[in-house]
Formats: sequence, structure tokens, C-alpha cells
Amino acid sequence: MENAKIEYLSPEAWRQWHTELLQSTVNRVYKRVPFYRKAMDAAGVHPEDIRSLEDMRKLPFITREDLSTNYPYDLFAVPLRDIVRIHTLRSAQKNPVALGYTKQDLEHRRNLTARFLQVCGVSPDDVVQICLDPGLAMLGQELKEGAETLGALVISPDPLNSSARLRVLVDFKTTAVITSPSYGRHLLWALQESGKSLASISLKKGIFVAETLDHGFRKELKKNFALDACSGYGIFEAMGPGMAYECPELSGLHLAMDHFIPEIVDPASGNVLPHGETGELVITTVTTRSNPLIRFRTGDLTRLDARPCPCGRTTWRMAPVEGPCNDLVSVRGIRIAPEQIDTFIEAQTEDDPPDHLLVIKNHNYLEKIELWIAINHDLFTGSLPQLHNWCRELENSFEETIGLSCQVRPVELRTIKPYLDEGRTIVTMNSQPDRMQPV
Amino acid sequence: MITIQNLDSGYGKLRVLKGISMHVDAGEIVTIIGANGAGKTTLLNTIAGLVRPVNGKIIFNQQDLSLFKAHQIVALGCSLVPEGRQVFATMSVEENLVLGGHVCSKKHGRSTAAGELERQYALFPVLKERRGQLAGTLSGGEQQMLAMARALMARPTLIMMDEPSTGLAPLIVMEIFRIVQKMRDEGNTVLLVEQNARAALGIADRGYVLETGKIVLQGPAAELIEDGEVKRAYLGRDYETITDR
Repeated sequence: MENAKIEYLSPEAWRQWHTELLQSTVNRVYKRVPFYRKAMDAAGVHPEDIRSLEDMRKLPFITREDLSTNYPYDLFAVPLRDIVRIHTLRSAQKNPVALGYTKQDLEHRRNLTARFLQVCGVSPDDVVQICLDPGLAMLGQELKEGAETLGALVISPDPLNSSARLRVLVDFKTTAVITSPSYGRHLLWALQESGKSLASISLKKGIFVAETLDHGFRKELKKNFALDACSGYGIFEAMGPGMAYECPELSGLHLAMDHFIPEIVDPASGNVLPHGETGELVITTVTTRSNPLIRFRTGDLTRLDARPCPCGRTTWRMAPVEGPCNDLVSVRGIRIAPEQIDTFIEAQTEDDPPDHLLVIKNHNYLEKIELWIAINHDLFTGSLPQLHNWCRELENSFEETIGLSCQVRPVELRTIKPYLDEGRTIVTMNSQPDRMQPV
Repeated sequence: MITIQNLDSGYGKLRVLKGISMHVDAGEIVTIIGANGAGKTTLLNTIAGLVRPVNGKIIFNQQDLSLFKAHQIVALGCSLVPEGRQVFATMSVEENLVLGGHVCSKKHGRSTAAGELERQYALFPVLKERRGQLAGTLSGGEQQMLAMARALMARPTLIMMDEPSTGLAPLIVMEIFRIVQKMRDEGNTVLLVEQNARAALGIADRGYVLETGKIVLQGPAAELIEDGEVKRAYLGRDYETITDR
């Protein structure tokens, strides 16, 4: 496990910790990663110019596009022989994103995830069930390793439907469930529908990842299901799911500042904003060996609080993410960019890509997506079975490419034109049932 | 204990250290590893006041060492065991030790210095056996122990050691490092510069890797000893493959 004292350093000690690690990271990437060297040279900044944390502002940003552009090896700061695992991520760009990890990188991530779960109250006595969509499989894998490090009994994120998951939850006396808020809602709805009593389950806490846990849902969980809820924040490109977590005080998410330096910037200008102001979270990893990120734009809107927490930890806290600062949408914790859908449709159609609209619907608290395609003469040649087959093929490719199942619906252009005229390519159509009642 | 911020140092126009930031907490052994010419000795000499820093701060127990002279730095509690031992060859072992205790006897009185001498004899029994012998006639390992004991005579709170293993047989190196560990266990804080990275990381709590005057890596010693780059560059495995990237 990580050094337990680290979360309680004084502000001066944090400053020294970050300055040392920032300087050595910048020295290393300037020497080892041509991308950073070029970007820093273009910005007219040399490693020796970084003499304090304020000097960080001189460093250029790195974005998800840069990660994709430099696919496959160009951002690695260590030789390939030191890398023991590679993860590839979907990207809105032409190339995927490849992230490498050294043994030490994996250990840091594992320990950090374990720390997150430990602060959320997971102990070796817990039976932890991970219920996440297949599109969040890598997140589930890291959470599993973190919970195993703590010595808890872990039920892996299996691709079961909700009723099967509920059965496992009852049979194995799950005490903590790790899920996304949207899937958590659906699971509780399914629990109500199944008619099982609250007494028949051993569930004590819910740990929510991948999406923001809203206050109302937390209250609802406590009131109606006697469940303690806490949440974590993480991005896969940086340190994984344990990057920020709620302590029992529930006064914001503690950032794991021993591994990265957080900043908040104005999404438009890139200027650093003072604590308390809402802006885009920017992360600089300082312990990562394989793929260090210098000023990575996360795309998430939040604000920071540097005041010490009543729990005693001195790590800065971030407010729950208010949303993306670009036009990304999150469906069951999986982020989708409009241009990702455009690229997908273009790749699937030979000639003119048809007009399309991505519709997010809420069915029994579970978000489902439909892809509405405006039928034209190229697509409909007069044979309904052929059109039907084409739709099924598109659905399969969508799931493979985006990581979510989707229903493709052929529609007339006039159905979707009003949305397209407003410049919207993704819309949400809510059809929520009434609020959940106590079991 | 000691915090260094953006330290630039060198000799004349030659800048050897370029923006070094590091720290040593009380009760730790921190090691600095690096190739020849990386700036390890310059760093220790700058902390000890033998080389004046060009820029930056060296904060030792809330005081900026760059404002003090070398002998004042020893009096503040920061002693250096120099590279190559540099014992006074024509003086006896005990005379060397008494000389090292000069600061202590001035500050705390002769009886404290005498007590300190006995403590060193307890830590290094071989020195007690050879107390009357001329220091120049001691073996390399014994001279190294004498240099360490001489530095400890000043009752430092931070002891800096420059390449204590140089020129010593492996068995003697093990003995020296065992004593360094013992010094830490007795509450001393040690900043250890060493080319024998494996031995140094084996006993240290944390380490910094110095490359051409800059720190390029740091972390717990247990992590550094497992690090691929450190292994290749400093632990004796194909050095070239890492530098050619």
C-alpha cells in the first residue's frame, strides 16, 4: 500500500514535493519524448525555466488528439522493453490511443485504486460486486485489481443482465457494489421490480464511478435503501479510477496529489483560473514512467478547493464534475463525441453519408441509444430485408467501435431535420418512470 | 530537515548543477546516484559550503546555508565525509577524532566531546583498537570508518557521505553500509552519494538520479532498484541501450 502519511502533508511540503517531481518529469520528457521536446521548443520554454509551480503555465498543453496523433509509440518515455502492458482506447480521431505501463506504473495505479476504495470504506471483510457496462471493461478491470489488493472478495464485472446480477448480489451477500450512477439507478429499479425485500440483501454501500453522482440520488439511496454512497473520479489516460475520491466527510473529491498536479484553466483561453472558479481540469502526472502527461486537458468542468478537509487530509478537493467543456456526451459512463459518430457513419457508407441523429433514451433508468438514419435512395433499394440486414450490421459495428449497444432506426429525413437544423446531432429524449419508492 | 530549491552551482563559468530541487527528511537515508561527472560531489560540496551556489536555496533547519561559511555549516549540524577519506595521515586515530569533535567541545563542553568519542569507539570498535596508530597506516576500510567517525564527532543532525565505497573490497563495503544503516537507526539523517548504486539503493529509503546536473528521476529506493532505466544505466546492465534512445 501507499505511504499513509502522504495525504496529510503541509502546503509547503506539497509545494516541494510537486516542484521536485515536476522538474524531474520535465527533464525526463524533454530528453526522451520528441513530442514534448518539439512542443516545448515551439513554446520557447526549456526544462531549466521550470523553477516553481507557477512556471508550469509556460508549458504547452497536451490533448486527447495529441495522444491519438502520436499513436503508437511516440509518447513513450521509456524503451518498449520496460513496458509490461499496453491499453488501447477508442478515440474520436483516425488513430486509437495507445497507453503503455511499466511494472511500477501498474503498481501505482493499483495502489491508488485500492486507496480510493479503502477511503470509501471497502475492507477485507467486504464482498465487492462490480457492475459496469462492457464499454467500461478496462475501468472494471482496474477496480477489480484495486479491491483485490485490499483483500476484499471481488465479483468481477461479468457481462450479465441486471436480473442475473441481482441474483448474484443476493446469493453471494454483496456488501458493496461498484457501478456508474445510471446503471446503479437501473439496478435498484430492477431490485424493486423483482419484489425482493431490502432485508434479503446485504448491500451496505454503493461506490459510483464514471459519471457524476448527484446529490438527489445520494439522498434517495440513503433514505430509500439505507445505502451509503460515495464516488470517485478518474480518467484512463492519466492514473485510472483512483485519481479523486470522497472521504466520509463527503465534502468534495480528494485529488491524489502525490501522483499528479491539478490545475483549472479557462477552456477557451487556456489561462489558469484561481481556486473556486469553474473551468477545465488539467492534469500533469509526476510519477508516471511510461506515458507522462504534461498539462493534459481532461475536458471535464470542475473547480478546486485547497482548504484542508475536516477529515485532516490536505490534498486539494475537486467539486463533482459539472459536465464536459466540449460537446461530448456521456452514456452510462462512456463518452461519445459527435464527430465520432460522423466518422463511424462515413466509414460504414460507401458514397454520401446519410443524415443521422443519435438519440439517447431513458428506459427503466437505463440509458439506451438509437441511431436514426435518414433513408435515401442509395440506402433503400426497394428490398426491406436488405435494409433490415444493413441496419443489423450497422448495430454490430457500432457496438464494436463505440463500445455501447445501439438500435439503428431508418427514418424519414423530415423526422430528424428539425434537430439537424438546430445544429444538434445528439439528443436526449427522457421518458423516466416515477421516482423510485422504498423497497 | 534539508530542502534544496532550484540549486545552480559550479566552478567559475562552468555550471555543473542546473536547478536541483530535493529534500531529505529527518531519520532518512537518501541516496544520490549518477554517472561520473553528473554533479554528485558538487552537490555535496555546495551544501557543505565548499562551493558557493550561483542560485537557489539550501534550507537546513529553517536556515539558508548559502549564507554561511563551511565551518559554520558544520556548527549548524551538517557534516561531510569527503570522497577519498582525507584523514590526517600523520596524526593518530584519536587525534583525528578529537579534531572532528572541535565544534562539539566548543558548543557543548569537553565532557560531551569525550562522551562522543566513546560513542564512536562503540560504533567503530576497530578504531578503539587502533586509537594510537597513525591514520595514514590504517587500511582503506579503516580510514573510511575514521572519516565517518570524525564527521560524527561534530554531533551532526545531517551527515553527508561522498562515495564511501570507493576503492574498498566488497566485504568492507558491506561493513561500511551496515554502519551507515546503524547510524540511521540511531536517529541520524544521511545523504549518501554513491556510484555503487546497488549497495546504496539497498540501504536507502529514497533516491534521486542525477544526470548531467539535473534530477531526472526520484522515488522510494525499492522502486528505483526495480526501475528498468536505473538497472541498465547504474546497476551494471548494458548502459548503451538506454542512452541511444
